[in-house]
Amino acid sequence: MIKTIIIKELQNNLYSLRFHISFLLCIVIFVVGTIAFLKKQDAKMQEYSKYRAEFKNQLRQTAESNAGKLAVNKRAFIWRPRANDFISDCKEKYFPNRFNYSAYNVFGFEVGRGGTNPFLSTFQELNWSFIVSVVLSFTVLLFTFDTISGEKETGALALVLSNSIPRAKVLLGKYISAIITTMVMAIFGIVLSILIVIFSRKVDFTSAMLMETLAFLLLVFLFLSCTAAIGTLSSVIAHKSNISLLLSLTFWLVFVVIVPNTAIFWANKVFSIEHADTIGRKINTADQELRRNAPEGSNTSSSGFPFLPEHKLRAELTMKRMNSEMAIRNSYFQDMFRQLESTRLVSLISPIALFDYMNEAVVGGGYARFKKVWTDLHGYQAQFLQFLKTIDAEDPDSPHWYNPWEDLSTTKKPVAFEQVPLFEEKPLSLAARFSFLKNYLVVIIFYIAAVFSLTFVLFLRYDVR
Amino acid sequence: MIWKIAKKEFLLNLVSARFIIGFLLCLFLIPFTVTVNIDDYDSRMRVYRVDKANAENSFKVRVYSQLRPEIVKPPEPLSIFCQGISGNVGNRVKIWLGDKPLFATGKAAIRDNPLLNSFFSIDFVGIIAIVMSLLALIFTYDACTREKENGTLKLLLSNSLSRYKILLGKVLGVYLTLLPIVLFCYILSFILILNSPNISFSASDWGRIILLFFVSLLYFTVFIFIGLLISARLKSSITSIIVCLFFWVFFVFIVPNLAVYMAESWKKVQSYDNLQYVLQDLGKEFNSKCDEYAKTLEAPDWWNNMNHEWDSDGRRIMSGSSKSRFEWWRKFHEFSEPLRIDYADKKWNLQKAYLDSLNEQRNFAEMISLISPSEVFRLISASLCCTDVASHCRFMDRTRRYRDEFIDFFRDRKIFSSFLYITPQPPETFMTADEIISTRTGGECKNLKELGEWMNAHGGSWGIIRKVQIPGTHYNEYPFLDLSDVPVFRWQSENIFAGLKQVFLKKVAGLIIVSIIFFYLSFLSFLRYDVR
Repeated sequence: MIKTIIIKELQNNLYSLRFHISFLLCIVIFVVGTIAFLKKQDAKMQEYSKYRAEFKNQLRQTAESNAGKLAVNKRAFIWRPRANDFISDCKEKYFPNRFNYSAYNVFGFEVGRGGTNPFLSTFQELNWSFIVSVVLSFTVLLFTFDTISGEKETGALALVLSNSIPRAKVLLGKYISAIITTMVMAIFGIVLSILIVIFSRKVDFTSAMLMETLAFLLLVFLFLSCTAAIGTLSSVIAHKSNISLLLSLTFWLVFVVIVPNTAIFWANKVFSIEHADTIGRKINTADQELRRNAPEGSNTSSSGFPFLPEHKLRAELTMKRMNSEMAIRNSYFQDMFRQLESTRLVSLISPIALFDYMNEAVVGGGYARFKKVWTDLHGYQAQFLQFLKTIDAEDPDSPHWYNPWEDLSTTKKPVAFEQVPLFEEKPLSLAARFSFLKNYLVVIIFYIAAVFSLTFVLFLRYDVR
Repeated sequence: MIWKIAKKEFLLNLVSARFIIGFLLCLFLIPFTVTVNIDDYDSRMRVYRVDKANAENSFKVRVYSQLRPEIVKPPEPLSIFCQGISGNVGNRVKIWLGDKPLFATGKAAIRDNPLLNSFFSIDFVGIIAIVMSLLALIFTYDACTREKENGTLKLLLSNSLSRYKILLGKVLGVYLTLLPIVLFCYILSFILILNSPNISFSASDWGRIILLFFVSLLYFTVFIFIGLLISARLKSSITSIIVCLFFWVFFVFIVPNLAVYMAESWKKVQSYDNLQYVLQDLGKEFNSKCDEYAKTLEAPDWWNNMNHEWDSDGRRIMSGSSKSRFEWWRKFHEFSEPLRIDYADKKWNLQKAYLDSLNEQRNFAEMISLISPSEVFRLISASLCCTDVASHCRFMDRTRRYRDEFIDFFRDRKIFSSFLYITPQPPETFMTADEIISTRTGGECKNLKELGEWMNAHGGSWGIIRKVQIPGTHYNEYPFLDLSDVPVFRWQSENIFAGLKQVFLKKVAGLIIVSIIFFYLSFLSFLRYDVR
């Protein structure tokens, strides 16, 4: 019986005007978005390889002139544009994507200016995740808002229930058909988008991307089930279809506009952290303290003679100063991570935010990527320092006094560029992605179950007259 | 008769669920958004005060080479209503000799945690753009269809009532319903603003808000006519609302993202990092020219700089060196600083091209976004609230003009060739190397040669030179420069009509024309509407 209901509903949906309009809109955005992505990706990659070539060139020049300088010079690692951006960009251009480091430490991260234009308003790219989270979530609500209340108005509901069908089956049939209808749109759009990507030959559609696409489809299914449940809920709350429409629109506005846009407020009010200038003052105070207590001669300015005893004192002092600064900064970074994580937890009320976070695990971008780069870069920095210390140890002309800000009392010998370890970002492993994803999966499944059960209970008591 | 219909429509709307839900939505959203933005403004204000204090310190210098004034722009009070691009651009500009101001800095300070950048925020104008357009559509989608479905339209038209009167009555009715909601939103935000102690609006700000109010009215008028047109073209209410909602999603949510995304893809902009590399090359060229020049200078009797501190952009303060060393540095700066300014102009050619490409991209995005009334509304609001790109560019232009003024001041006074550029020590107290050495070593070494011998005997130590201090040879002993005649950048908020002429001529006129066209079309459609 449930099959009959689903087929009837599907036919109803597929012939409806809302299906035609939303299908057209969806396909157009999929196509425009993918073409725009390809055009942009090309330019982005060109700029990035130019940047990377120049970066390596400078590194080579420094390495071939002075290894000590190689250790001291601060560099920025900028992450490369992801080829699977068309699935989800994870708002990476607004994310801290520039990491400053030298051989002595990883100093911090910032939102690089890179290729973004500060004169443009903040926006979301038209990728799959945007289309699903904005257009399809809206469409699925349009398919569900009147499944119950609309049928009640036309009197069809009374007729259906007069047969010997349990209400659960009626509800489930309608619910599943709404999900199937929107899934059809999503799959159609995604296949079209993949075809465009493959035929453009600008980006390789790899097997990893295929796996990511499948995982993405699974998430789309969960996400649409969640929004469909919310739409059905608004349909059983109200007895008139126009009121249930208003209700589902309100839900949608809360999820798309209000929750994501007010996260900053919660972050600042509930999970506030210290201001950056307070941290600056703390660092300054600690720094002044260290300088005051340093032994006589530690602040002498440089002289060309590496073995001058004052250089050793200064090297010790600067090392202490860097360590004290970084101890304060690192604990501040931990506060920042906690603030973001707690704020994300609050914004999980919105299935759309939830869907966005899950996509990060699927494509290996956003915060998941950030954390990975941050940890890996620390590992690399230790390795880089070890490499330079080994070179330094072999140099009889070096007093081996490590000063993070000066290359005076360490080796000044050149080193072959090919030997210098380079930091290359590795993609997130499957295990890391899953561990990032699993909590969100639990939340969304719980969400669906809770909303659907509430809908079911309300529907059992629904007055069909 | 029009009034009667309008009154009837108004009363019907007033008791409807959509009015209550719409009103509640505003009642919840507006105070929340305004509070969030007031909070944001307060924290910007806090950062501004800290920055301002630091900027004032940039005038406490002992030599002219260390004078690099900093300009801090106060946060725009109207950003509470419309943030525009104020969150993307900074508010601090440091005046360098070697660089013309390209971007303002200090953006990260507004948000202490850069990770939170991935969350967007919405402002008053954003809420009005989303909610009022939705309400306008929700109140008009069934203007014709519902009455037709109920059969009351037939009844109405069987009276000797012209159709245009019915239509006008309906429009007026919706207007009467929406007007109190908008008015309520504005009054609510006024109350919140007047209650917060840190915000003070000038007369021009109030004028701009009143203009913003009228633009909001115009904005939802467009949507009223869109809804009316759709309603007059379609037969059933449910079809009408679906079509209306798709238009709404398209205009409010898709076009803004589509426009910017397409602009980013089709109008290429060089990466800022790559621009930096090219600028670095110019910097290297400048440095090597300076080095070459330094080789041509006559060597001083002693290269020692004694008390010396230096930084980028030619900032240098020194004292206690020998007379010829001072002279060497004076000649060096006399050459390097004008060259630095020339190189800033060379860099600016590249930077200007980059800036132009950014503007071109933005114009392209703006052009596409013109298809959406809500984007037009946002653009107008940003110009009204002085948070648009044009206001920012005007500010940056003024900082560049100020830099010119500042440099002219240096040139007119021949400061680059004076000793005061690098040292507060008066030229009459300068000593020769031998005089310094014999005084400082307490007569133990008479000249450079003897000092060298002493140092060789003591493992390269400079200890002996610190034996006797010569008064007046440390720069910290001198007071700060009197800079009362240096030009100062005066920040004035823009007057009420600044930059508005263009906006009103084009965008507001556009909105008016579009709404007239929609009204005309809906009028035509309603005349032919089949009431059966």
